[in-house]
Amino acid sequence: MNELNQLAVTDEMMLDEKEQIIDQLMDEYSDDILHLVYTYVKNQATAEDLTQEIFIKCYEKLHQFNEQATIKTWLYRIASNHCKDYLRSWYYRKIMLSNKILDYIPSKSKQVEEEVITNSEENRLTNAVMNLPLKYREVVFLHYYEEMSLREISKITTVNINTIKTRLNRAKELLKDKIVEED
Amino acid sequence: MNDPFMNLKSSMKKTVFKDLSFSNERKKAVQEAIRTNQQSQIHNWNIETIIAILESVQHESKDGYNISIQLFQKNERTFQENEGQLYTLLHLLENKEILTSNWINNKKYYSLDSKGKKYLATYKQDTSKQKLSLKHLIQEASL
Repeated sequence: MNELNQLAVTDEMMLDEKEQIIDQLMDEYSDDILHLVYTYVKNQATAEDLTQEIFIKCYEKLHQFNEQATIKTWLYRIASNHCKDYLRSWYYRKIMLSNKILDYIPSKSKQVEEEVITNSEENRLTNAVMNLPLKYREVVFLHYYEEMSLREISKITTVNINTIKTRLNRAKELLKDKIVEED
Repeated sequence: MNDPFMNLKSSMKKTVFKDLSFSNERKKAVQEAIRTNQQSQIHNWNIETIIAILESVQHESKDGYNISIQLFQKNERTFQENEGQLYTLLHLLENKEILTSNWINNKKYYSLDSKGKKYLATYKQDTSKQKLSLKHLIQEASL
């Protein structure tokens, strides 16, 4: 991976070199990116589609990568922005959300029942995090799952470090409330 | 107080992310999209390859098959085992009005269009100097 980090990206770079970089990025990070995207969109098929688009976008923007950031940070930033664009899009707001509402109609509640049956400690924590509002879910995931420093998270989300600290604390409180509620 | 998120990583790995992996099919789809994207831009093709094609049709119009034979004789191996790409490029050159075509007996015959003639003439005038300016001309055309 060092090889990839030290790489100088130039305008004149050969096409197959660029292709190789994308291949390497996919080998190294595609599962992580897919997981990140999933925490934003909560749907497997959509997450896979978006991840695909993200790597294509990286290829197109590779000449804009400057080495002030690591390529990993750069990749995560593109991914995070792409997901937020999607969640703001007309398609998501009109089509996906109305489909989602259908899921909550009682006749379709079978899935929910299954979820309750397999409600282990792991499931409870995961569901609680997945149900946090986006701005908390995002920082919690990056910090605890991706094990990123606050500085890195700040670069990816362009949110300042103190705000991230506040959000992490607030997220803990929200989680505590939730667990108390359930007990 | 214990950090409630301490076990998040292992919890998510055991639950939502258990079977969530970016498949090889998905990776291939990305590679495919990248390749298609490259080929649709004329400046991503080698100048020498383009010139070889223009030269092959400068005196008489030819169909794709005969162009490929001529390229092979000139030792232009870009399309070896990759014949399909030649047709992609021919199509692109036609869209940019560098080549023009005629259908004769169910075969498409290509010849130089006015832009193509101009490029070829410019290129031949002064090969060493003109390589760059030709590249610019073609890039302009691709805008």
